[in-house]
Amino acid sequence: MITLSQNQIDRGLDILNNLDNSKLLTHLNSCVHCGLCSTSCIYFLADQDPTLTPANKVDLLASIYRRYFTFLGKTFPAITGARSLNDDLIPEMVDKFFGACTMCSRCNIHCSIGLDIAFLVRTGRMMLSEMGFVPATLQSTVNAALSTGNNMGITYDEFVDTIQWLEEDLQDELNDTTASIPLNQPDKNVMYTLNPREPKFFPLSISAMAKVFHAAKESWTISTEMYDVTNYAFFSGNLAEASIIAHRMMNEMEKLGAKELILAECGHGDRAFRWEAPNYLKIHFNFNIRTSIELLADYIKSGRIKVNKNIIKQKVTLHDPCNLVRNGGIVEEQRYVLSQTVTDFVEMTPHGIDNYCCGGGGGQLAMSEYNERRMKTGKLKADQIRNTGAQIVVTPCHNCVDQLTQLNSYYKLNVQIKTLAEIVADALVLD
Amino acid sequence: MATLEIDGRVFEVDGDGFLATPEIWNEEVAQLFAKYDGLTELTDKHWAIVRFIRRNFEEKGNAPMIRSICQDTGVKLREIYELFPLGPARGACRVAGLPKPDGCV
Repeated sequence: MITLSQNQIDRGLDILNNLDNSKLLTHLNSCVHCGLCSTSCIYFLADQDPTLTPANKVDLLASIYRRYFTFLGKTFPAITGARSLNDDLIPEMVDKFFGACTMCSRCNIHCSIGLDIAFLVRTGRMMLSEMGFVPATLQSTVNAALSTGNNMGITYDEFVDTIQWLEEDLQDELNDTTASIPLNQPDKNVMYTLNPREPKFFPLSISAMAKVFHAAKESWTISTEMYDVTNYAFFSGNLAEASIIAHRMMNEMEKLGAKELILAECGHGDRAFRWEAPNYLKIHFNFNIRTSIELLADYIKSGRIKVNKNIIKQKVTLHDPCNLVRNGGIVEEQRYVLSQTVTDFVEMTPHGIDNYCCGGGGGQLAMSEYNERRMKTGKLKADQIRNTGAQIVVTPCHNCVDQLTQLNSYYKLNVQIKTLAEIVADALVLD
Repeated sequence: MATLEIDGRVFEVDGDGFLATPEIWNEEVAQLFAKYDGLTELTDKHWAIVRFIRRNFEEKGNAPMIRSICQDTGVKLREIYELFPLGPARGACRVAGLPKPDGCV
């Protein structure tokens, strides 16, 4: 049972009482209820539940805005559909904003008037965060990042031991003692980042990238202080916490003096730092930032690494991470890399910027309470994969890899899920 | 709290199907959870991995690094993903009765 205090209500409403944010006010007041967004949304498509349409989520937020900040809403709430921010509304807000949206932004590109609906959902999450209603499972991932420096609570020793173990394996594989995974080296060209799930449980992608860096003769390093590319506070709606995490990355870049920050294959990590952090930190970065996807494409295009597309013979398809394609503009790079590294490639329908979210974005994988719904919305992706007939699904996002791995088992797809770096490493031709 | 029924036994679990009360775990529970994931027969390698993860959890309160799993059990990295198709977290840690690890897993 929820009992909201007046202080909680005030803090929540303060998020909407932001008169210098013209984007928020415009997008809150402009939905024309055309309904086009409905069939763009994986939650509506999977469930056919009209309360899960993007327009309904927009209206949930807009109805609170009307109740407190418009003349008609304040005077005649019933007539204008204005709703009070009270105990009864909180469960609905948590369910719709946290549990029924990955903020994949597919509705944005189908909206007849171009509303940024995902931004409004995130604003709803910001209100809930201010009032103390972030799901405990998601908050626990944020807390791990804040208190330990990475979202899985990996200690310094555990991390260094893992990297050394991977380095020895790499040297054995290449029969070359100069192959290395350099830690904390100053003044390199590249500071590379990781998703903590890589050192903890899935390190093949670290080895793959290290192999590529070795082949490219890159000058690179990983920081033991700040290698975590993720920023779950961006999803929980707590920009103060998101700022702490983003600041750490920025400070570590400046401390090590690398020329360029290369973000691992992580859709939200790219979005939360490269594109959104300058907005919430209100600063410009004085270093270059690219994703490893762009770097891999660049290495191949420039001839810095050589690849043979005849090594991987299975049929391959590509899952586009929402945060990279719709929210990051990285659409062609992964396709170029695959055109050079595999022979039998097939696109999903739809794909590219119109691709369906895998269902695991927006922090969904961290929130156990929505597991069943996540598997249900993921059926769209499972059907897409099955229809391609592919044996390998490539996706340049560790979060998507996890959702696809679970879908693979749940829907018995019998495919392999790989990152882009793993494909490039497999196709690599060493001198 | 959700429940999970396997072969007539009912377990309290989180939404992801991880045991809500890790202390009730024993090897019979492990076998039932594995069966639920479609692992009908647990080999010596499966057991070596599960027992190591469990011991680490009981001693340190968390899931071990994949490096420790490989080095302690002698099972090769790629083989672990074949033994537990859902991966070390949703596969092996769940069978070992651990709570779900934080992060993208």
